[in-house]
Amino acid sequence: MSLNDFIKQLDDLVESASKRFEDAINQTDHQVLEETRVEFLGAKSGKLKEAQKGLGKVAKEDKPIAGKRFNEVKTRLEELFQAATDVITGGSKKGNAEAIDVTLPGLRPRLGHIHPITQTIDELKDIMGRLGFTAVEGPEIEDDWHNFEALNIPLEHPARDPLDNFYLNLAAASHGGGNQLLRSQTSTVQIRVMENNEPPIRIVSLGRVYRPDEIDATHYAMFHQIEGLLVDTNVTMADLKYVLRLFASSYLGGDVEIRFRPSFFPFTEPSVEVDMRWQDTWLEFGGAGMVDPNVLKAVGYDPEKVTGFAFGLGVERLCMRRHGINDIRYLYDSNTKFLAQF
Amino acid sequence: MLVSWEWLKQYLDLKISEAEVCDRLTLAGLNFDGASTVANDRCLDLEVTSNRPDWLGHIGIAREIGVLFDLDLKVPAADISATSTGGACPKIVQIEDEDFCPRYIARSVTGVTIGPSPAWLANRLETVGITVINNVVDVTNFVLMEIGQPLHAFDLDKISGDTITVRQATTGEKFTAIDHRDYELHSDDYVIADRRGAIALAGVMGGKSTEVSEMTHSLLIEAADFAALPVRTTSRRLKLKSDSSYRFERGVDPEMIDWASRRCCELIVETAGGEICEGRVFAGAAAPARKPVTLRFSQLMRVLGIDVPPAEVHRILEKLGNPVQKQTNDSITVVPASWRRDIYREIDLVEEVARIYGYDQIPERAGVLLSASHQSDLDRVRNKVRTAMLGMGFDETLTRSIVSDVWAKAFQGWSLSEPLSTSMPMVKGEDRLRISLLPSLLGARRNNEKFSYTQIDLYEIAKVYLPKSKALPDERYMVGITSGHGFYEMKGVVESLVAMLNPQAKLESIPYTDPMFEEGQGAHLTLRGTTLGYLGVVSQSKCKAFGLQKAASVAELDLGALMKLAVLVPQHQDFSTQPTMNRDLNLIVDEEVSWSQLQSIGYDAGGKLVESVTFQEIFRDPKKDGPGKKRVLFTITLQAYDRTLTGEEADATIANILVECEKQTGAKLLA
Repeated sequence: MSLNDFIKQLDDLVESASKRFEDAINQTDHQVLEETRVEFLGAKSGKLKEAQKGLGKVAKEDKPIAGKRFNEVKTRLEELFQAATDVITGGSKKGNAEAIDVTLPGLRPRLGHIHPITQTIDELKDIMGRLGFTAVEGPEIEDDWHNFEALNIPLEHPARDPLDNFYLNLAAASHGGGNQLLRSQTSTVQIRVMENNEPPIRIVSLGRVYRPDEIDATHYAMFHQIEGLLVDTNVTMADLKYVLRLFASSYLGGDVEIRFRPSFFPFTEPSVEVDMRWQDTWLEFGGAGMVDPNVLKAVGYDPEKVTGFAFGLGVERLCMRRHGINDIRYLYDSNTKFLAQF
Repeated sequence: MLVSWEWLKQYLDLKISEAEVCDRLTLAGLNFDGASTVANDRCLDLEVTSNRPDWLGHIGIAREIGVLFDLDLKVPAADISATSTGGACPKIVQIEDEDFCPRYIARSVTGVTIGPSPAWLANRLETVGITVINNVVDVTNFVLMEIGQPLHAFDLDKISGDTITVRQATTGEKFTAIDHRDYELHSDDYVIADRRGAIALAGVMGGKSTEVSEMTHSLLIEAADFAALPVRTTSRRLKLKSDSSYRFERGVDPEMIDWASRRCCELIVETAGGEICEGRVFAGAAAPARKPVTLRFSQLMRVLGIDVPPAEVHRILEKLGNPVQKQTNDSITVVPASWRRDIYREIDLVEEVARIYGYDQIPERAGVLLSASHQSDLDRVRNKVRTAMLGMGFDETLTRSIVSDVWAKAFQGWSLSEPLSTSMPMVKGEDRLRISLLPSLLGARRNNEKFSYTQIDLYEIAKVYLPKSKALPDERYMVGITSGHGFYEMKGVVESLVAMLNPQAKLESIPYTDPMFEEGQGAHLTLRGTTLGYLGVVSQSKCKAFGLQKAASVAELDLGALMKLAVLVPQHQDFSTQPTMNRDLNLIVDEEVSWSQLQSIGYDAGGKLVESVTFQEIFRDPKKDGPGKKRVLFTITLQAYDRTLTGEEADATIANILVECEKQTGAKLLA
C-alpha cells in the first residue's frame, strides 16, 4: 500500500467518524454514541484497528510518516469521541475546576411589578390618547360646587346624602364655609377643565374616587374612574357611539358592537348605559350621554352653541374582568403574591 | 321593582311574549334583571332609575309597554260616587309646613270587617313579594304597587281628638311604629300627630297606636305628598326603609293622589265592606300648573345625530302622556305628564324621543375630527418612576387613602397639622386622610409578613392630603418606598431613581430625627435646597407599633420635586473620548468628617480634570489610627477633554486635592 493510499484511508476515516459523532450529538443519544465508539475505536474490530493493519503494509521508509499520521488520527478520533460524550452527558470531565451544572437556575435580577389597576389605567389612557383625548387629573378633595352643583346634582338628590359621601369634618369658619368632601366621581375634573378652557375640549379624567360602602368581594369604598369628555360644535350621540366603539375595539380587540340603553345621570341628558357585545355576550361597559345643558351653563358655555358627550367607566371592573380577579380586596391588600402576578 | 305579568294585563290587552316585552323595556330604560314563576304568575324584576318614580307602579310600566307596542292603556276610573253613602271625614287635617307636605287627602270608610284578602288580591301581592296581612292593609299595598302612591290606613276610632296635624317632631319625642319598635325622634323628622302625639312617621311608617286590627271598624285613609329630602333623612337616620319612603324619596304624582285615595276606598269596600264617607278632607294646595315645553325638531339632529319624523315625535310624546298643545313645521309643544317631574326642558323631550324611537337607530358617525393629544409631564415622570422601581425589583401597591388616627400621625415629615378627618370611617376605625404613605406601606409589610413572605419590596405613588386653612387641602403625589434592606440599600434605590430622572441631579442628605427612624439612621433629602423627601431605617418602636417582625427601611419622595428635576428630553452633552486615569486615595479622617465633604473637596480642588470622585469603602483601625478615626477609600477619576493626561498632571491634581483635604478636614494620607 502506498503512503498516499494509507493517508487517504486515514483521512476518510476521520471524515466519516466526525460525521457519525455529529449524528450522535444531534440525536443526543447515548446508544448511538456507544455504537459509534465501537465502530471506530472498538478494540477488536473498530475501524481504527482495521486501519492500523494498513500500517504494516506501507513501505519501510514511509513508516515514520505513516505512523505519525496514524497517531494523529487516533488522537483526533478520541477527541471527537470525548467532545461528543461531553455534549451528550452535559459535562466536561476535564480537570478539577468546579463544574457548571447548566440545569441549575440562573441568578435572576428581581423585577418588580406594576399594579394591575395602573396597567389598566395606562392602557385606557393610551387608547384614549390615540383617539385624541388628553389625560388630566384634579383634586380628590372637592367642594360641593364641583362635585355636585355644577354637575346638575341638586341638594335633594340622593347622591348628596351625607351618608353616601365622605365629607370632611371641618370647622366651617376656618375653611371658607364651603363643604369639602372626597370626590365621588371624576366628573369633577371635567368641570375644572371646562371652567378654565374654551371649547373644543377633549379630555379623559381619571383617578381615585370615594363612596362609603361596606367592603366585600365586589365593593370597595375607594375605587378608580376614568371619564372621557368631548365638547365642541356639532357633537352628537352618533359621535359618542363611534368613539365608544373604537375605544371598545381597541381595548378588547376585534369586532365589538356597542349598544345604548337609556339610563339616568344628572350630568348627562340623554343618559345611557353602554353595553359591548363581545364574544357573544353583552357586557356592561359604563355610563355615557350628552353633557346636560345645565352643566354647560354652569361652566359658562352656551348650550345653543356647543354640545358634548361624556362617558365614564369603573376601572376596577374592567381590570378584574380582564385579569380574572374575583375579589376586589386583593387590589388593595398589598399581598406580594398577588402583585407579582401582573 | 317587581312586576306581576298577570297584573299588567289588567291595564293592557297584552298579547306579546314576555321575552319581547322585557327586551324592549330594557332598551327603553327599564332594565330587565330576571324573572321567576310564582304560582300561576310571572314575576319580572325591572330596574328603575331614580328619575322614574312613575315606574314604581304597574300602571306606569303598563303605560311604557303601551307606548312601545302601540297599545291602549286602561286605567280604572275609581269612581266612588256610587259607593259613598254620606257624611264627611270626621277629622280635620292641619299642615304646619306645606314645604314638607304640600297636600294631604283624608277619607274615611266605616263599617269595615277586617279579614283575609280575597284570592285575587293575595295572589297579586304574593307575586311581587309583599306579605299579605289583612284586607285593608293589603288594599293599601295593592294601590301602592298599582300607581306608586303610598297610602296609610289608620284605625279611625283610635285617633284621639278631631284634628290630625302634619308637623315636625320634637327632639326626643317617642314613637312606636307598626314594626312594634320604639324610635326616638329628632326635629328633622316629620310626624302625623293626633291630640296625644305622633301616630305615624310621615311618609315612612304608621304607628302602633292607630294600627288596623281585627277589631277595627272605621278607617281613615291617608293619601299625601311628602317632600323627598326629609323623608330620606328620617328613613336613613332611623334605618327604617319602607316601600312608602322609597317612593316619597323619588316623588309621587301630585295629580293622582286623589285617584289613589278613591281607588283605595273603592277596593276596601269591595274586599272589607263598609261605606265610604262622601266628603273628604283636603289640606294644602292643588298641584301647580304644568308648564308647556317646546321641542325644536332641529335639536334631534343636533343632539342625537338623526332626524325623527315629526309624526313619530308627536306619537311618542303624546302616548307617554304629554298632551300636544301645538305643532308647527319646526317644533312641537307639549304639556309634560303630571307623573313626569323629570320633563321640564327641551333636552328632556329629546331624551324621551330617543329612548322610545330607539338608540339602535343612531348610527356610528365619524364626525369627530382627528385631534392631537399629549402625555402630561406628570404621566411621563410617573411612568419613569414606575419603570425604575420595576427594574429595581419593587412591586407597586395601592393602599387606602384613609387611615386610622394612629397611622395618620405615625410620620409627620410633611405636615405637623392635625390630619383631616372624614365624616365617617372608610373601614372601622379609619377616618383620617393620610399625610404620609409610609404607615400604609408598613401596614402592607405586616400583611405580607403574616404570610411569611420574605421579599417585601413595595412602593406606591399616591396622594397625601396636607391640611390648609381656608382652602382645599394641599394634595401632593408622593412616592412611598419600603424594603427589608438597610439604610444604604434604600438610599441607593432613591439615588438610582433620581439619577434615572436626571443624571446630573445632586442629591443632598442631612441627618433627620423622627420617631419613625432609628436614632441616627434617618435622613432628610434635598435637591438644590428644596426638600425631596425622607429616608431611613424604621425604628424598633415603630416596628413594634406596626407589628413588624423584621427590620424595615422606608423612603418617601415628593413627586412634585421629582418632576422639577426630571429631564424628560435629555440633551446630548459633548463628552471626552480621551482615556481616563484612576487614582485611589485612602485617607485617615476624624469620624465626624462626612463623605460629602471629602467628595466636594475632591471636585473643587481637583478642578476640571476631575471626572468623578467615587466612594469605595470605610474602614476603621483604632489600634493604628487611634480612636475616633476612620479610613475612607475613594477613587478619583481624571480625564482631560482634548488630550491624554500625563502622569505629572495627574499627580499635581491629586496633590492639590490632598492638600485641601488635609487643610479642611485634617485628613492624612495612609502611608
